Amino acid sequence: MTSLYLGRAIGRGIVVAAMTASLLTSSVLAAPPVDLSKWSPEYVRSIAGTEEFDTAADCAKVTPLDYTGRLTFWYQGVFEGDPDLLRQYYKDFFEAFRATYPNIVLEEQALTYNDLLDKFRTALLGNAGPMVVRLQILGGVEFASKGYLQELKPEDVGYSTEDFWPGAMKSVTWDGKTYGVPTNNETMAFIWNADVFKRAGLDPEKAPATWDDVVKYSKQIHDTLGISGYGLVARKNAGNTPYRFMPQLWGYGGGVFDEATASPTYSQVELNSPQSKAALQASYDMYVRDKSVPVSALTNQQADNQPLFLAGQLGMMISHPSDYNVMLDLQKKATGGDQEKAQTVIDNMRYGLVPTGPDGKRAVVFGGSNIHILQPEYVDGGKVDEPAAKAMVCFWTSPEWSLKMAYAGSNPGNLNGFKTKWMKERLDSIRFLDVTTSMLPYGVPFPALPETPEIMNIIVPDMLQNALTGTMTVDEAADDAAKKVEEIMGGGGL
Amino acid sequence: MTPVTGQYDAPRQKQRERSGILEQMWLNRFDYLYVLPAILVMLIVIAYPIYYTIDLSFFKTPPSLQLRDKIFVGTDNYAAILSSDVFWRVTMNTVVWTIASTLFAFVLGLGAALALHREFVGRGVLRAILIIPWVISAVAASYIWKWIYHSDFGVIGAVLVGLGLTDRPPNFIDSVNTVLPSLIVVNVWREFPFAMIMLMAGLQTVPEQLLRAATVDGAGAWQRFWHVTFPHLRSVSTVTILLLAVANFNSFIIPWIMTGGGPASASHIWITHIYELAFGRQRWGVAAAYSVLLFLILMAFGYFYVRALSGSERKDHGE
Repeated sequence: MTSLYLGRAIGRGIVVAAMTASLLTSSVLAAPPVDLSKWSPEYVRSIAGTEEFDTAADCAKVTPLDYTGRLTFWYQGVFEGDPDLLRQYYKDFFEAFRATYPNIVLEEQALTYNDLLDKFRTALLGNAGPMVVRLQILGGVEFASKGYLQELKPEDVGYSTEDFWPGAMKSVTWDGKTYGVPTNNETMAFIWNADVFKRAGLDPEKAPATWDDVVKYSKQIHDTLGISGYGLVARKNAGNTPYRFMPQLWGYGGGVFDEATASPTYSQVELNSPQSKAALQASYDMYVRDKSVPVSALTNQQADNQPLFLAGQLGMMISHPSDYNVMLDLQKKATGGDQEKAQTVIDNMRYGLVPTGPDGKRAVVFGGSNIHILQPEYVDGGKVDEPAAKAMVCFWTSPEWSLKMAYAGSNPGNLNGFKTKWMKERLDSIRFLDVTTSMLPYGVPFPALPETPEIMNIIVPDMLQNALTGTMTVDEAADDAAKKVEEIMGGGGL
Repeated sequence: MTPVTGQYDAPRQKQRERSGILEQMWLNRFDYLYVLPAILVMLIVIAYPIYYTIDLSFFKTPPSLQLRDKIFVGTDNYAAILSSDVFWRVTMNTVVWTIASTLFAFVLGLGAALALHREFVGRGVLRAILIIPWVISAVAASYIWKWIYHSDFGVIGAVLVGLGLTDRPPNFIDSVNTVLPSLIVVNVWREFPFAMIMLMAGLQTVPEQLLRAATVDGAGAWQRFWHVTFPHLRSVSTVTILLLAVANFNSFIIPWIMTGGGPASASHIWITHIYELAFGRQRWGVAAAYSVLLFLILMAFGYFYVRALSGSERKDHGE
């Protein structure tokens, strides 16, 4: 662990402290629409369907419905691992927006999670960006810090900052200013196949309590049944990798910095701490020592684990609530005996909380996406149609659409979404939603730093790959990754 | 003392030549006007990016800064690259990838061209089938091969396990030892039809009389190939090898889609590494310096390519 530049650290500390203070203060002044201290599946059920919202009427206060304009919009859209249900909601959203704002010419472009950042960065270099962009949660600060984004807070589109998760607001905040509005927030859960557990001699109704148990269960499943135990993912440049490894890293008490603490300062690199090394060792034990996880973990994404799970070839994995719907979609596409086999797996799907570390620490990535408006000079054509842009932001972050667009795979960014009738409907129709919703309070946001995408998409997966391929020992891989983080935080590094 | 006159005459001769060239240009000024748009387009789309890349290679571009706020660092990027372990590892991968892909694609292409040069039933169909790898999209091919190689449910693994030849599917692309050879196989599979087509065209130029004369003189198949056929293929072979080498040096799609340069950078070659540096890590300056080095190497290939082409043209004209 090495101290980074003191001045920068103190500066960040002040900013984070100020941010925390402002969040606390503002929550006293304007209470959130839901009581976050009471958060539980029962509480979520009790508030669902208790309030009606009229999106068109709300957004008309921001941008008149007869407004004539033009809007270019890029967004992180659905990809191969998403359920069909979500595809339909995306279609419905754009139809509804066009019907509500018939005079706004909308040119939207969907990009997958792994392509969006690269394409957006390239477009910005040529001043050819869209007017509005919906980015993954770890992307916003990078672009805000470079001056590409306009200041934008929920109040600018008719909502209140307290309508959104404090953790989500952190991800759109840079140097004390707000640069976007959260669209959806998600925390994953732990999913397992009860039938596989039973056949492997494990309690079919009980998830592994700790990450050490995951290692043990994975080995037991593999040794008994000859299939993969845990669905490890360690591909580089794939969002799935940090979303699955960081909960493990935090659970063991490690981290890239101190991002898992209540008031992070990001002043010290912790990737090579004993706790972080213990987390990496757990992955090493599963992949190298026990060979109890998919060999393809180094080139795989979660979308590759889904068919393995459905085929009964994988015992457990970290996943979205949407995986239940994904499995239903995949099962429909199966034929003959495979369909029956898939149904057995679906019937045996169980969701539980993500395991804890040895000290009882439970953590999960506080994921999701945010929507931003760009500075005109970086937009294709050099102009931003502000009213049209705000209409889009208002529409997507409304209680109605922030819930519908996150129907199967995530949770509404706007907390009022939990009060809508669609939330009630969702609780009744999406199995296991309770569990993933219960994980929300354990959500840890990625470090709010411009360097975070590189750390999460490249350095952390590199660390895993170096250790799992035997290119480096666990200690060397962790030290190497810590050194790389220190270098980039100091403005250097190849 | 006679050379003195010559020494005085030389500058005048040069001046006359210069005025001759200018005069020629003036006389042909409308021809130059006709090609001017093309030259301008070339300057914009080729010369400017080259200039910009060279310029950018002298700047540092930390991820927290916009590109326009880049910091001048002189030749630091080049020094950092050349002193980095990663550079030499990636360079070694690139050399292995380029030489192996080029060599095997050429040899396989030559074998296929020789086999298809003879008349036999179904030759047309076979030729069409062999061209398929070259005409299908590299992206589609990469995904198909990724599935074929998959370390858990790949086609090859399933067949081998099904036949009882192994307990576990072989690890092709998730191992640092096997990933590069596995990708080279895919690349050769995709490229050999190109070599085959080029060499089939070259085979058309081999005079039948010479081959018959060699047969009459008692030359065997190998002797006919080595002493008659191959010398006639030398020019087209040189051009084919150079084109394959340049394409392989510049390869991106197959390694990027199949492994993203992994695991543990074992399949990173220059182009994928440059892409990651630029677009994944926003080290535009370092990526530009890498690109300049790559440009210089490719220019050397280009030089030999032009030489090979002009050599074959001279030969065609009987010079």
